[in-house]
Amino acid sequence: MPENFGDFVRHRREMLRAGDPRFSVRQVAARVGLEPSYLSKIERGEQPPPSEESIRALAGDLGIDPDLLLALAGKVGSDLQKIILKRPQLFAELLRDLRHLPDHAVLRLVREVRDGKW
Amino acid sequence: MIELTNDALQFSFPAVHPGARLHIDFQRTLRIPDDGRDYPLPPGLGRFPLRHVDDVAGHVPAVWLEHGGVMLPMSQAEALWLSFSGPPLEDRGTAWPCAIRIATGKIDAVTGKPWVSGLDRGPQNYLVHPGQPWLDGYCVERGVIRQFVAMPLGEGYTAEEQLTGRGEHGGIQVQVFPMKRAAFERRFPPRPPRPAKVKSAMLSRSLGAAACAAPMEMGLAAGGRMRQEIYADRFELSDWDLEQGSRVFVHLTNSVVWQAITGQAPPGRPPTAADYGRAGLPWFDYYDEARQPVPGSELLRRLRSVLELGAARGSAPLPENDAAPPGRVVRLPDRRVREWR
Repeated sequence: MPENFGDFVRHRREMLRAGDPRFSVRQVAARVGLEPSYLSKIERGEQPPPSEESIRALAGDLGIDPDLLLALAGKVGSDLQKIILKRPQLFAELLRDLRHLPDHAVLRLVREVRDGKW
Repeated sequence: MIELTNDALQFSFPAVHPGARLHIDFQRTLRIPDDGRDYPLPPGLGRFPLRHVDDVAGHVPAVWLEHGGVMLPMSQAEALWLSFSGPPLEDRGTAWPCAIRIATGKIDAVTGKPWVSGLDRGPQNYLVHPGQPWLDGYCVERGVIRQFVAMPLGEGYTAEEQLTGRGEHGGIQVQVFPMKRAAFERRFPPRPPRPAKVKSAMLSRSLGAAACAAPMEMGLAAGGRMRQEIYADRFELSDWDLEQGSRVFVHLTNSVVWQAITGQAPPGRPPTAADYGRAGLPWFDYYDEARQPVPGSELLRRLRSVLELGAARGSAPLPENDAAPPGRVVRLPDRRVREWR
């Protein structure tokens, strides 16, 4: 799987287009509100990734996790930015502490919905 | 375990299998008219927001904290449906099967009986996903439900109050049991993978701000009639892993109170059914002809709808109940996208 934003989007779109003609550059661009020529340049790496809003729309259309696509674009979602900016030192420290943990250990940190007495 | 992610409840059963997962969200929708007609399925207009009750511990009744779980905002006479989905296991051609129990005010929405933990088949008190993509209301007849409609707890409209005489619990109770690993392996042996299905593009809409002042706690009551089948379980009762169940109490709070305690605006009011129909927007039908629907519950059939009960009391608790003959009805054979967001 390509690690470059444009290549990744094109790879995913072409894969979908193989089974569904609605995933042409023109039709995807129309659905997410971009000019087809602009999307084409983004895919070729001739333009930088678009706005967060367009990235989220692309992710929705192509069935990609929006956080993954934003990360490939070198961006952090505005929702995450808000969370971090509320307690920047705490979250920065937390992320540094977590960086070397294996996935299963990070997953153990997820918060469960608490069940009580009914 | 249950996590709250993107306003959805993510059930996972890692002790059974990493792929044993189920996702439940609560969809905003139109309230269908209660006019004796059987309506098709209204659309989903996006998820209700969900919050851990523990995050607003200083602002909710102590009994909510005792129950644990999550809460969501509803306005009086607003409707909702529950959406079920699970990640497909590509080499098995299915999502992990789960048995799902749904109750409102601790009254089972399929049987009308008081809540007792666990699964039963006499009559069947659960839904099975995959195969049952959503639940819109109380199972009152074979192939017919009465829509879930929010009413303030304590005014006698909710299913709980009508059937027990008390408005003690309110809310929605959800319990999920995964299929046992051995039963899954036997029933769904590995097969060559097929390309993943692609989610359809979805469209968002939301209308003006809610305006309603009422008591804090809401419960669900019976609204208009809708065509929806609750399918009989095609597996064995012993296929379900009763030791691995997870459950959650979903509290319903009045929208205005929600804003006061969370600082977040609740979702806007959905359009009326009549406005929606006039705009030429689609309704939906979904049948799985290969499956047998369960008969409706006699207890639930006897529930009086919000409209009937209001009329008997000389009040009109449901604004805008005009008949809204659905124009365009989209049949959903397999592609189960019914959401507009």
